[in-house]
Amino acid sequence: MSTSTDIDTGYADEADQVSIWDRIGRPVAPFAWPLVLGGAVILAAGCFLSWSYTSDVLGNLSIDFYPGAIQNLMIIAAILAVLFALMYRGPLSRLGEWLASATALRTLGLGSTVFMALVIALIGLQSGGLINVMPGAWVSLVGAVLLLVGAAGLTPRASRDPLHAHLPAWLDILTIVVLLATVLFGAAYVLDIEDGTVFSLVVLFTGLVAYTLTRAGFFTWVGIVAQTHRRVLMLGAVAVAFLFPFTQDGSDANMSIATQVLIFASTALGLNIVVGLAGLLDLGYIAFLGAGAYIGAMFSHSAFATIGWKPNFLVVVVIGALVSATLGLIIGSPTLRVSGDYLAIVTLAFGEIFRLAMGNLDGQDGPKLTNGPNGIPAIPDLEIGGFSFGETHEVLGITLGRFANYYFLLLLLAAFIITVFTRLNDSRIGRGWIAIREDEKAAEAMGVNTFGLKLFAFAGGAFLAGMAGTIKAHHDVSVTPDQYIFLESAFLLAAVVLGGMGTVAGVLIGATILKLMPEKLRFVADYRLLIFGLLLVLMMRFRPEGIVASKRRQLEFHEEDEELADRVEEVHLVEEQEAKA
Amino acid sequence: MTAVDDTLRTEAHADGPVLEAAGVTMRFGGLTAVNNVAMTVRQGEILGLIGPNGAGKTTFFNCLTGLYKPTEGRVRLLGNDLPPKPRAVVMAGMARTFQNIRLFGNMTALENVMVGRYCRTSSMALTSILRGPKFRREERETRARAQELLDFVGLGKSSEHLARNMPYGDQRRLEIARALATDPKLLLLDEPTAGMNPRETQQASDLIFRIRDSGLAVVVIEHDMRFIFNLCDRVLCLVNGEVLVEGTPNEVQSDPRVIEAYIGSAADDEEGDE
Repeated sequence: MSTSTDIDTGYADEADQVSIWDRIGRPVAPFAWPLVLGGAVILAAGCFLSWSYTSDVLGNLSIDFYPGAIQNLMIIAAILAVLFALMYRGPLSRLGEWLASATALRTLGLGSTVFMALVIALIGLQSGGLINVMPGAWVSLVGAVLLLVGAAGLTPRASRDPLHAHLPAWLDILTIVVLLATVLFGAAYVLDIEDGTVFSLVVLFTGLVAYTLTRAGFFTWVGIVAQTHRRVLMLGAVAVAFLFPFTQDGSDANMSIATQVLIFASTALGLNIVVGLAGLLDLGYIAFLGAGAYIGAMFSHSAFATIGWKPNFLVVVVIGALVSATLGLIIGSPTLRVSGDYLAIVTLAFGEIFRLAMGNLDGQDGPKLTNGPNGIPAIPDLEIGGFSFGETHEVLGITLGRFANYYFLLLLLAAFIITVFTRLNDSRIGRGWIAIREDEKAAEAMGVNTFGLKLFAFAGGAFLAGMAGTIKAHHDVSVTPDQYIFLESAFLLAAVVLGGMGTVAGVLIGATILKLMPEKLRFVADYRLLIFGLLLVLMMRFRPEGIVASKRRQLEFHEEDEELADRVEEVHLVEEQEAKA
Repeated sequence: MTAVDDTLRTEAHADGPVLEAAGVTMRFGGLTAVNNVAMTVRQGEILGLIGPNGAGKTTFFNCLTGLYKPTEGRVRLLGNDLPPKPRAVVMAGMARTFQNIRLFGNMTALENVMVGRYCRTSSMALTSILRGPKFRREERETRARAQELLDFVGLGKSSEHLARNMPYGDQRRLEIARALATDPKLLLLDEPTAGMNPRETQQASDLIFRIRDSGLAVVVIEHDMRFIFNLCDRVLCLVNGEVLVEGTPNEVQSDPRVIEAYIGSAADDEEGDE
């Protein structure tokens, strides 16, 4: 029991840091706990005072007793700190048996101090000198430092493994509901932030809180809860996604971003079948989205559409998917017999061939299908069964604009793709894919149709991307070759790798990060190649399995790590028991 | 044994041999690893394949199971020619284990065996996505059969353990269970007791007898002579890629050429002086 706890709370890799924490903490050890509480209170108190002399920096932090966005974040940090302190000693100590409160407080203390220092530096920079930083900010910084020093003085205790915490079901479900509600309102809140710097700070803070809770062992427990109440979680997630447009009150700006995120995420989920489940590297996946988009455009009512037949949109979706899947078969059948790296190069070339071909099918160098570089513009909005996607609709007094309409359609598509993904993963086919990833020779020798399964993953992924493409054509209004360049394939792959190969949640998070950041932050948009490149390098070095790790993938990336294997097995055994109960 | 019931269907073939390999030759460039080897395996018999290191035993196995395409020769299973494709060989009813264990380490024991059931089940994409009654029945049957086989090899309690976490001896037995899951008529075991202690070796012996008793034919490659001579009905000795001697354990054991092959070519081989 104690060994597993060690792994869980990360004491193992903390061993060499212990001395630093101890050196800071030893002198204050006797009064460390009051220091933590005091620090948290001072941190919060500072937030109610003005931080900045001018009102145009980081939102508005200049009014006493009216905390701005950044100040609210630090109040949340202070509340978290008080909660953890009360878990360490006090009324919540029973909860403290399960969560590594001291470790969490150290992370939180360090994070808050860095955060406050950063905020003060930013206020100084943006308003022309530290002279414009008001006392409130300094009070909060002092509070954060006290919190940090106090936390160093606490002794981390081996907490009980949250894996064995058996709480009543209603509490589990309440946790899921609270978490999902946080996601919903968090997303609405974050999307409303206009200021790029504030946005970055909010993202940073979210990361800090998530990391603190991970260190406390909270997410280990959440993982078990999510596994045991999969249905509730799924329904809840659908409800949250469905309710999101209603929080936007008709604002098209945010809904436009949301639909783009959904298109990107749906495509990335399709790619995840190829990359995450079957283990094939596809660097030209955007071509399948493009094929679907071109089909959607060619069969649309646009004046520039090149095909006279105008079938029902659902028929177009099927045609787009089938054309994409056929392309997948054509490119896959000769290449899937060779190993990974060759496939990557062939798919990369295929992506380029697709783009160039679309740029040339203009009636001069080939049949007139795509209008060449001009593409097919002026694609009218969808109309399905009399429901026009271009018009705004009123539901319960809330206006839902054009993008909200597409959002709901894309949500259906994403739900479909997620269903396909999870069901295939948990089936005979999914087991075959895992076997291929593990040891292709052995899989073949055990009678697994390795070539057929790889080809199916390839064509199936293309099929789903084709579906997404037909909707994207109408959403984007025009389809041109330069929307389907290699970089887009690279970003899709980055979303899968960053988020977590083989997981749904991970890819949704990865896609959101990669799509949202450039939309909200100008400097990220300008340097996005550099930033995402760095991000990927860091991920490969420190967490190759991605933000949300699939257990299997985690094991594959850490073949030597026996502690991890033991831990995964322990979790699996507990889950099996819970499932039976 | 109920675990391997399906194989009894081969009774229709009761008279003919399970496996007939004739003139199997495998050349890698100028090197002839296996030269004109013939082997016949009869119903319900355990055949041993011995020979010094580098004699071509594993290469011959790979020729039989389709991992290599033999340069010459033919292999017939239950009277049908075997195409040199691993998957077709498994479908036809021949399964194998590997000399260096090749389990799917990050899958549980049960999942490993379920992969073995792949070729005897047929749920395809649409069935898997729609989750109709056929899919659920097949999943249930696959799971039940896999558990049954794990019980058969004595790993019933470890079904949810990760393969890579299991002790060495258990991994060997798991590999056998995975091979049995493909409903073979003939099981090829490549050094099933390598690295095992005497107790585990005895258990392996018992297991192979039980597999034989359930109606399968078994071919075993082994270096442990005591193990082989206790276990097998017939023994084939390969030297330099050719069949040196074939006969009952007693005949082979006492054949001077076998002793010479072991002592002569591998003087330090401890088994040689038996």
